[in-house]
Amino acid sequence: MAVASEEHAHVASFYHLRDEVQGSAHACRGLACFAARNDDPTLWQAAQREPWLYCLGQCHRAPTSGVVPGPEATVRVQSRAPVLLERIVAGGATNLDAYRRLGGGRALEIALALQPTELVQRIEASALRGRGGAGFPAGRKWAAVAQQSAADKVVVANADEGDAGSYSDRVLIEHDPFRLIEGLRIAAHAVGARRGYVYLRKEYPRAAAVLTAAIDAAHASGWLAGLELTLVIGQGSYVAGEETALLNSIEGRRAQARLQPPRVAEHGLFGAPTLVNNVETLCAVPWIVEHGAAAYAALGFSRSRGTKLLSLNSLFGRPGVVEVEFGLALRELVEDIGGGLRRGELRALMVGGPLAGLLPPSLLDTRLGFEEMAAIGGAVGHGGVIALSDDTTIAEVAAQIFRFGAYESCARCVPCHRGTPRIAALFERALRGERGDAQEYRDCIEALAATSLCGHGRGLAEFAASLERHFPQELAACLA
Amino acid sequence: MPRLTVDGSTIACADGQTLLEALQAAGIGVPHLCHDARLKPYGSCRLCVVEIDGHTRPVASCSEPAAEDMVVRTHSPALERLRRTNLQLLAADYPAAAVTDQPELPLHRLFATYGIETEDSHPRTAPVFRDDTHPYLGVDMTRCIHCGRCVRICDEVQGQSVWQVWGRGSQTHIAPRVGATLLESGCVSCGACVDSCPSGAIYDKRSPGTAERWTRTTCAYCGVGCQMDVGTRDNRIVQIRPADAPVNRGHLCVKGRYAWEFVNAADRVTSPMIRRDGDWQVVSWDEALDFTAAQLRAIRDRAGADAIGLLGSARATNEENYLMQKFARVGLGTNNVDTCARVCHTPSAKALKEMLGTGAATNHFDDIELAATILICGCNPTECHPVVGARIKQAVRRGARLIVIDPRRIELADHADLHLALTPGTNVLLLNAMAAAIIEEGLVDADYIAKRVDDLDAYRAFLSDYAPEAVAGRCGVPAEAIRAAARLYASHGPAMCFHGLGTTEHLQGAEGVMCLINLALLTGNLGKAGAGINPLRGQNNVQGGAHMGCDPATLPGGQSFQQGAARCEAVWGKPLPSARGLNLMEMTDAAAAGRLHALWAFGYDVYLTLANAQATGASLAKLDFVIIQDLYLNETAKTFGTVFLPAAAWIERDGTFMNSDRRVQRIRKAVDAPGEARPDWWIIREVARRVGGDNGTLSPHNSGERAGVRGFDFDTPEAIWDEVRAVWPGGAGLSYARLETENPHWPCPDEQHPGTPVLHIDRFAGFERAALRRIDYIASPEQCDEHYPLLLNSGRTLVHFNAGTMTGRTPDIELQPTDVLDISSEDAERMGLADGQIVRVVSRYGEAELPLRVGPSVQPGQLFASFHDPRRFVNRLTSPVRDRLVGTPEYKRTAVRIEGMDGGV
Repeated sequence: MAVASEEHAHVASFYHLRDEVQGSAHACRGLACFAARNDDPTLWQAAQREPWLYCLGQCHRAPTSGVVPGPEATVRVQSRAPVLLERIVAGGATNLDAYRRLGGGRALEIALALQPTELVQRIEASALRGRGGAGFPAGRKWAAVAQQSAADKVVVANADEGDAGSYSDRVLIEHDPFRLIEGLRIAAHAVGARRGYVYLRKEYPRAAAVLTAAIDAAHASGWLAGLELTLVIGQGSYVAGEETALLNSIEGRRAQARLQPPRVAEHGLFGAPTLVNNVETLCAVPWIVEHGAAAYAALGFSRSRGTKLLSLNSLFGRPGVVEVEFGLALRELVEDIGGGLRRGELRALMVGGPLAGLLPPSLLDTRLGFEEMAAIGGAVGHGGVIALSDDTTIAEVAAQIFRFGAYESCARCVPCHRGTPRIAALFERALRGERGDAQEYRDCIEALAATSLCGHGRGLAEFAASLERHFPQELAACLA
Repeated sequence: MPRLTVDGSTIACADGQTLLEALQAAGIGVPHLCHDARLKPYGSCRLCVVEIDGHTRPVASCSEPAAEDMVVRTHSPALERLRRTNLQLLAADYPAAAVTDQPELPLHRLFATYGIETEDSHPRTAPVFRDDTHPYLGVDMTRCIHCGRCVRICDEVQGQSVWQVWGRGSQTHIAPRVGATLLESGCVSCGACVDSCPSGAIYDKRSPGTAERWTRTTCAYCGVGCQMDVGTRDNRIVQIRPADAPVNRGHLCVKGRYAWEFVNAADRVTSPMIRRDGDWQVVSWDEALDFTAAQLRAIRDRAGADAIGLLGSARATNEENYLMQKFARVGLGTNNVDTCARVCHTPSAKALKEMLGTGAATNHFDDIELAATILICGCNPTECHPVVGARIKQAVRRGARLIVIDPRRIELADHADLHLALTPGTNVLLLNAMAAAIIEEGLVDADYIAKRVDDLDAYRAFLSDYAPEAVAGRCGVPAEAIRAAARLYASHGPAMCFHGLGTTEHLQGAEGVMCLINLALLTGNLGKAGAGINPLRGQNNVQGGAHMGCDPATLPGGQSFQQGAARCEAVWGKPLPSARGLNLMEMTDAAAAGRLHALWAFGYDVYLTLANAQATGASLAKLDFVIIQDLYLNETAKTFGTVFLPAAAWIERDGTFMNSDRRVQRIRKAVDAPGEARPDWWIIREVARRVGGDNGTLSPHNSGERAGVRGFDFDTPEAIWDEVRAVWPGGAGLSYARLETENPHWPCPDEQHPGTPVLHIDRFAGFERAALRRIDYIASPEQCDEHYPLLLNSGRTLVHFNAGTMTGRTPDIELQPTDVLDISSEDAERMGLADGQIVRVVSRYGEAELPLRVGPSVQPGQLFASFHDPRRFVNRLTSPVRDRLVGTPEYKRTAVRIEGMDGGV
């Protein structure tokens, strides 16, 4: 996003952080900060000032603001093999020499010696699924771009870690940036791309600095030879994390989802066949290339293979980023790895971001897996895990989520643009003791679920569905 | 052809249709608000959702391709509930008064259908754009439902991108990209946004009530020939809207859509008048017609038929022009008949007819979308042919390459790969150099030349003096740019050329067109889709006027005397006059010399529009008898007229126009003409009858009359047209009945013939091979010197049409009040002149006063003035230089100087 001129002021007006200096003093309004708001009510009050900041990725020490320095999240590996965090646990590597010294770069050498088709097959065989939230098989995505005949193709790393409550991509970038670059370089070789982009959210100033230096170093050393890599900093938009909206944003447009077809694999960034992968997905690639598809597929369970990073919020006894294998029971996550809540009782657990379902404590025996979570109306999402304690009511969460949803709506489709603020207002009135019209509420949610143009509105409807399913009494108390 | 099951019935649809299109075609109504057939699917209103078996959620039918075996439900209770909810959401902050005031608007109809009440419980927090400053478009965005149609049609059809979506979430609103009002926004006032808006948030300000009747007709501004629907109520026009026709595809420009009020102008003349003792006196039609006929007879008896000149009208119908030339030839007995094509595109007709056999555009507008490269030479389509200009802009956006040859930085130059800003009048130099580069660099289409082109060797030798490096200095374009243009045109085909008056209105106008034809012949860009040489005709029927025979050397159908004389004599029942006729410029010469005594002009302000007005005036003053047939007392009538015959406007009568790409299109009467005004064909018929007897041919000259000959005995334009079809073989297939449903391109020799969108596919018209023409550059005698150091160019602008007769009597004057003189900032600074200052422009032939506009569009040393305002009378400046072959004045190059109004500078 490099739009500032009068000619493009209308585009800039879409992005609420366009005028904010990176790393400004703004207080965070993200969900982890919301969950911990009573720990510092003054700071939370400051977070109500516009433009609203939805998640600085400091959830391990929430509530926070942009300038209060604090300790980095603890990083732990709880999987049998350290696919993603090995180097960070060992102290991280922000320069190329250190990266190589700690084993970086070997995968790229192996990959460049392979035929692109072999690489694509290796990713397919690993059963790696997209870590951005949708869980789409990564190998199929790669194959779709690889088979395009266009001369100009593009790889894009989605570093717009927008789901409030997850910060694992930030940790990966800030402490092991060359792993992402290596993953992108390998992907570019596999699909035949010569241009690459990293789209990074503005809320992560340190990640921007680290990645800028890393990309410069990678270009300067010749390590990236064959891939022209550009870092693009977002200007504030949650929907920009959706892959077609992200491409629009790079192109200097409003970050709105595109109608598909055409698929991004055929007609993506500036019309070129494009591969968009999440940071964590790309960071798993070097390990898979180096250790083999079978070794990766041996991790995890069910149809969810490999490892997943989870971001635990500050209400846990042991917050931080943890690498786990799929198959882990939520109870083990909350009680053992997370160390239970540091205050109060668990009211609800939000796994996978604000649009994923809100889960009651009674479902903690569910095991972590794409299908398993979907079965209870939840999601793996991007692996944010927010514990909400008993000082937060369900109505407060709902008001918070829908206000967020309305604020971030791109306003292209009617149910999301017009419906979400009405629902937010309904829950906000409920907090003051007024009950909302149940029919109007259900009509709006139904329209949101059935007719939204993109996943933003649908996700909000899924959140609402989880309220109906798991917290019917709390919801009923809001409605008349 | 996919077959689908919809609501239990089977429907078939065309390949490539969206589901919504398929449903609409099958007559199944699905509500929608953001859909517009002119635009790409957008999918924002979510009303067109349908259930499709196999899909877990409802699908927006506007963006879903229709597919074989789809099972679709369009009106299930669940869908209707969803639609009602989404409409209710739109109604939450919608002004109730809007619905009551205009229940017919699409949004308001849907509110009614679904029983939606508007609420005012959710006031808008986003900024609301309102604008009342534009003469035509009103904006009140409290009605906006964010369907994005205005934004998209301004972008996808007009290409102006004035409307934009601002903000996000609840702050989202639509407002211009730049500027506080539409007038400051770069808006070109095409009204496309108004036309698309489903809620009246953007609206036509001057619509006194809704139309009770719609009449399809053809626009009378420019030769594109857009189809339009004229809405009327109580015999007055209340609105004009674009029609979905092949030429304009649902689009119009500011003139077509809005500039109609001239028909109601206060100075409209609605009674016949005769000037007696210097004063105009209202008379009856009988008196005016008898007087006119008697005068014509007397002059003919006294001085011979060749002492009379008749002018057809580029604004009148084919039928009327046909009738006028027929009256000249068999009513009076002279070939002295011409049209204003003489001063615009006769050079094109001459060059195309001589080199290729047909004096008209070789290709049609639909080829714009097929061309890989578009060459624009001396025309400014986004202002003068705006709907074609918009199509060219869209083609370029989709990847077509664009070369602009024009001294000025016209709008399309900003979109061009190459802009060759040549010195005015050096077309032949530049085009010869392009040809030289094409040959030298081996870029000719050798197969095409072997099959269809003669004289390459002689042509190659001739071009040795025209290497780009040799001519660059004289034409003001760097040699490398000439070569780059040559390479692009020759190597990235098909390459389509459009040219205009910047090519033709020169000493070497017709020869300039021949040079363009040479380029097309060298590169095989003739006789195929997406290519060709295409004059953009200036006036609505300038192609038709000359094609109907209003040209001293041309008979109806563009036939030469050799081709058509026998056919015409057979149908007309009289021998054609044998003496060579005078063209328009020769008529003025003959008048000056006392050899021409009478002139009849209709729909044409000769005095204002001919070059070198002082000389024109001196000629016209010598005439004994001047018949002016028009809507108003134009400048010619005021100064020289003897009889004034009040005519009906185009929107008040029936007939046909012929557009730039060889389509014949109907015009239809939408309102009654005021007062005594009559259609031109009626007036010409009445004069002809009175000159020649009952059917117009019983004169002393008509000894050859036979039974069955109609003379001028026509009661309808259709009857006239049927006679045209009898004398013009290429138009025989174009009956009125057929023109109700289609507009084939001529030649169209019979009613089953599909028409000919692309000429010369296998052979040229009348011959197998075309010859390259060796055309030496000859410098214009009009040169700058120390007294006249600047070169003045003249032409049209977007808002006004030619002499301003029509647009000058509409609110278009609020958009552009008068002519302006464009000057470069370098020259303005050097001379100490400021933007907006009125200056006196002096040429060797006269002077004019014009306000200055300082800007980047003209090069230092050059000026540009529009010529729309009779008060400015820019043709007092233009020179007597004429095209060497057909006499067209050199409007595009006059040496002038600028004087400050105090006489300084």
